[in-house]
Amino acid sequence: MNVQRVSAIFEKDTKDFMKNTMLLMMPVVPIFLALLYKQMSGGEAFPTFLLYLVVGINLSTVTTAGMMTMMAEENEKKTLRGLIQSPASIVDILVGKSLVVGLMSLITLIVSLFIMGIEPLLNLKSILAIIFLFFFFLFLGIGIGLFSKSVAATSAYIMPVMLLFGFTPMFELLGISEDSIVIKFADTFPVMQAIELTDGNSWLPLGIIAIWVLGAGLFMYVCFKKTMTDD
Amino acid sequence: MENSIEVVEIQKTFQQQTAIEDVSFQVKKGEIFGLLGPSGSGKTTTIKMLTGELGQTVGKIKVLGMESDQIGSAEFKAKIGILSDNSSLYERLTIYDNLKLFCRLYNAPMRRIDAILRDVNLHGEKSKTVSKLSKGMKQRVLLAKALIHEPELVFLDEPTSALDPGNAAHIHQGLRRLNEAGTTIFITTHNMEEASALCDRVTFLNHGKIVELDRPGELQYKYSTHAFHVETFDGEQLVINNTPDQAERIKELIATNQMKAIHTDEPTLGQVFLKVTGEELV
Ligand SMILES: Nc1ncnc2c1ncn2[C@@H]1O[C@H](COP(=O)(O)OP(=O)(O)O)[C@@H](O)[C@H]1O
Ligand SMILES: [Mg+2]
Repeated sequence: MNVQRVSAIFEKDTKDFMKNTMLLMMPVVPIFLALLYKQMSGGEAFPTFLLYLVVGINLSTVTTAGMMTMMAEENEKKTLRGLIQSPASIVDILVGKSLVVGLMSLITLIVSLFIMGIEPLLNLKSILAIIFLFFFFLFLGIGIGLFSKSVAATSAYIMPVMLLFGFTPMFELLGISEDSIVIKFADTFPVMQAIELTDGNSWLPLGIIAIWVLGAGLFMYVCFKKTMTDD
Repeated sequence: MENSIEVVEIQKTFQQQTAIEDVSFQVKKGEIFGLLGPSGSGKTTTIKMLTGELGQTVGKIKVLGMESDQIGSAEFKAKIGILSDNSSLYERLTIYDNLKLFCRLYNAPMRRIDAILRDVNLHGEKSKTVSKLSKGMKQRVLLAKALIHEPELVFLDEPTSALDPGNAAHIHQGLRRLNEAGTTIFITTHNMEEASALCDRVTFLNHGKIVELDRPGELQYKYSTHAFHVETFDGEQLVINNTPDQAERIKELIATNQMKAIHTDEPTLGQVFLKVTGEELV
């Protein structure tokens, strides 16, 4: 990894992000939802799961979808080839882009959580959980982005990611029985484990989230190997 | 003389299809070398192997003294410039921001941006957004991108194929200047006029095989019939062989004031290609 090249990519992608209406729309969704919940709550404090619902939506729309879209566009417009022909390595490129997505996610997260009341999440456990979740969603975005050949194709991939991993806390609201297999399974998902971590006394959920991060990292690595060996 | 590129008996196979077969050639340092052939003959595949984007199935490649294991390394990439067949720019960014990115990726000094923009005649437009540029201007920005780090060897894959003659001439001018300054140029094209005007040496590629390799003038001479086409003031068309026994005849035509015009019958490079391969260059 080369710091100058990473910062060159970061600078380019930040400028490009600011001029891309599609990317600029992404942070609007979670912020709008936060405002909506705030309006509906009538000033009462939010339960943890609602805060994490906004975190999940945040990370799936800004982090995963943002990363996927940026990578898919480089593939579609053939600009990635120009980067690869330069001395920049694929790691330089991915790290530079991740920093842009990371910055945008952080801003969106802070804004939407401030609207709802950030206090319940201002503790070491919750902050660690959010950092782990960020990497989980980032790795998913990079993995899918590596094989996405067009921006249009990414919209098909983002739906399952959002529904499964971003909106998981919504399952609680669907009125499905607590003992059903679906809910039991969904409870092991990263955002649910983050709620568990914040509300409970055990550190175990952080370990489970870490396993999810490793899984996403492995998925990213497999996608990377696959794209690199395509002749 | 030192060679910038040495290719020995390379072959490239995609799944079942053989795209390049038994190709060997050398490119001398400081020359403009043309790889000529119709669409699908393997020009792009050859460039991709030379720049490390593709590995060869069989054979040896040496570029700037580096062998296959180093071709494609960051050190290698810093020494070469590439204008690919489907290169593109960041459409939402300005010309300047596009070049700034590559300037930093190649670790070239920032003042190179203004210098190279002047070379490709775009200095006045550097704050224009790329999406608003014409095809010819985009191609010039891409050329600037390929040259921003002053590479000693550049690969150009059909750099003028989508351009009108005016824009193409502009690029040719720039390439000649670049070559005079010492840069080795490897160019592919299916435009034979471009090749005759620009290249020191050319090689013909047909169905992945090399069918000729020489100076354009030599190839034209080789495939001419070595005869003169003469037109007299009486309107007569004569074909006179370029042999000692015909010297008197030509002398007489001139002496008796009958010679209106005399031409050698060298074929154009395109006609040579047609003769060698029996195929049109499109
Ligand atoms: N990635 C690939 N997979 C399979 N076949 C390929 C691939 N790239 C090129 N080819 C084939 O190799 C041949 C040469 O292609 P190419 O080098 O692009 O020709 P040119 O640049 O001269 O038009 C063509 O028949 C093409 O279909
Ligand atoms: Mg080609």
